[in-house]
Amino acid sequence: MSAWQTFLEAREIWQEPLLAAAIAGALCGFLGVYVVLRRTVFVSAALTQLSTLGLVAALVVQEAAGVEVESAAVQLAVATLFSVAGALVLGGLAGRRLPSEAGVGYAYVTAGGLVVLGSARLVHAAHDLGGMVFGNAVAVSGTELAALAVVGALCAVAHLVFGRRLVFVSFDADTAAAMGVPPARWDGMLFFTLGLAIPASARALGALPVFAFLTVPAASSLLAGLGLGASFTLAAALGFVAATGGYVLSWFAQSPTGATMVALAALSVPLAWLAGRRRP
Amino acid sequence: MTPLVALEDAAIGYGRRALLTGVSVAVQPGDFLAVVGPNGGGKTTLVRTLLGVLPPVTGRRVQPRPISVGYVPQRDQVEARWPLTAAEVTMLGRTPRIGPGRRPSKADHAAVAAALDRVGIASLAEKPFRTLSGGQRQRTLLARALAAEPELLVLDEPANGLDPSAELATLDVLAELHGAGGIAVVMVSHRIEAVLNYARTIAFADWEQGIWTVGGLGEAVSSGALSKLYGRPVTVREDGGRWFVHPGPTPMQNGFRAPRDAEGGER
Repeated sequence: MSAWQTFLEAREIWQEPLLAAAIAGALCGFLGVYVVLRRTVFVSAALTQLSTLGLVAALVVQEAAGVEVESAAVQLAVATLFSVAGALVLGGLAGRRLPSEAGVGYAYVTAGGLVVLGSARLVHAAHDLGGMVFGNAVAVSGTELAALAVVGALCAVAHLVFGRRLVFVSFDADTAAAMGVPPARWDGMLFFTLGLAIPASARALGALPVFAFLTVPAASSLLAGLGLGASFTLAAALGFVAATGGYVLSWFAQSPTGATMVALAALSVPLAWLAGRRRP
Repeated sequence: MTPLVALEDAAIGYGRRALLTGVSVAVQPGDFLAVVGPNGGGKTTLVRTLLGVLPPVTGRRVQPRPISVGYVPQRDQVEARWPLTAAEVTMLGRTPRIGPGRRPSKADHAAVAAALDRVGIASLAEKPFRTLSGGQRQRTLLARALAAEPELLVLDEPANGLDPSAELATLDVLAELHGAGGIAVVMVSHRIEAVLNYARTIAFADWEQGIWTVGGLGEAVSSGALSKLYGRPVTVREDGGRWFVHPGPTPMQNGFRAPRDAEGGER
């Protein structure tokens, strides 16, 4: 039996993770255009760390209370809560004494430190954390897939309906405000969708691929020198291809899945640079 | 006359910190208000407060009815990296008129084309904004403001970084718009000579010296007032219906006839 036939016959193993990878790759790729153009790349890293902190907090409380809850839904809900709250705070940072990057850095290192401290207290649930932090795109539960699909649909609707306003406040917040498009409201919506997308994607793929998909496909699409609409489409497509292609490649190469996805995404950058050299 | 927007005995600033106090100014339909003062004098803060982007520290902002506003920010505040064409940047000015989930209508596209044409860059519509020169970007931002079909057009240092020809062309477009369309214009500039021949009303703002005055050109512009504002001798003269401002010597030393006030005194 060929390796390809073996792969096809094992469909029950990979169909849910592959679908999750496809959704998360496309979703993070699309949102990444905002992340990169708004120079908030490290906000996404901090949010990933905050969602991990939420997961650790949920696990620590469960163990301390002696509750045996193996519920991905509860853990994901708490991680999402942390991530959304962090997104709304970090997205609104506009310090006059400190650049906003300092606040992002503070959130990142504080959350990172608390994750280590919290995980050190975990006895039984440490394995739950491993998949979240280091990536575990191999096994994705039905609940996680459903949550990711709902988040993906919500984000798609929000960006389809309100995309013009989100672009306006991102491109020129002062003018948007002066012309009756309030940045606080629409920035809030943009960062809310990021806050939703990151933990749902990280739960399915792991932190490293999510950070990569929020950065690399968008960077590639912008390097290619396309217009804004085409950049969103290309970034989503690149995220989709890198996530699903990386998953399949890792199956055949027996390589770590998340890292293979990231490596495949990274390949798009020099290719896009070459393609975009002749564009203005 | 009911103003489009006004500040009444307002203190303006950030948070609880007031930069200028006792600010009262009303922008009437068809007005042309120039806000002049040195760099960092609080002009942009004033305009942001007038537009409702910043709340006044004390006092109040009055806007009797909803109005359409066109705003041209300082050019370096706009991120040029975004992969938008000049037409797409201009279309952003239509955003308040385009409902959620809707695509721009034929009327929106027509308004964008007309705005680009009006500022003389129709041929650059499909050019990426980032590839335009400084003057062309400035015109694009002006086109975006015009695409909003504003009743109130607000410009923050629109001539900054422009060569004299581009500066004059921009100001002439403004004068034409103001004259033809009856749009109220509020224009911020640190260079009084750039606005003196276009404005009807002029305001001086400098928070370091605590200066805030507003009035008609004839009453507010004088060598004394400008010398105090800029902290050095400044000469104002009127010649052939146009106003000129020069740093340095007195009008008599320079051979100019200084404008006279109602009593015949030198202003």
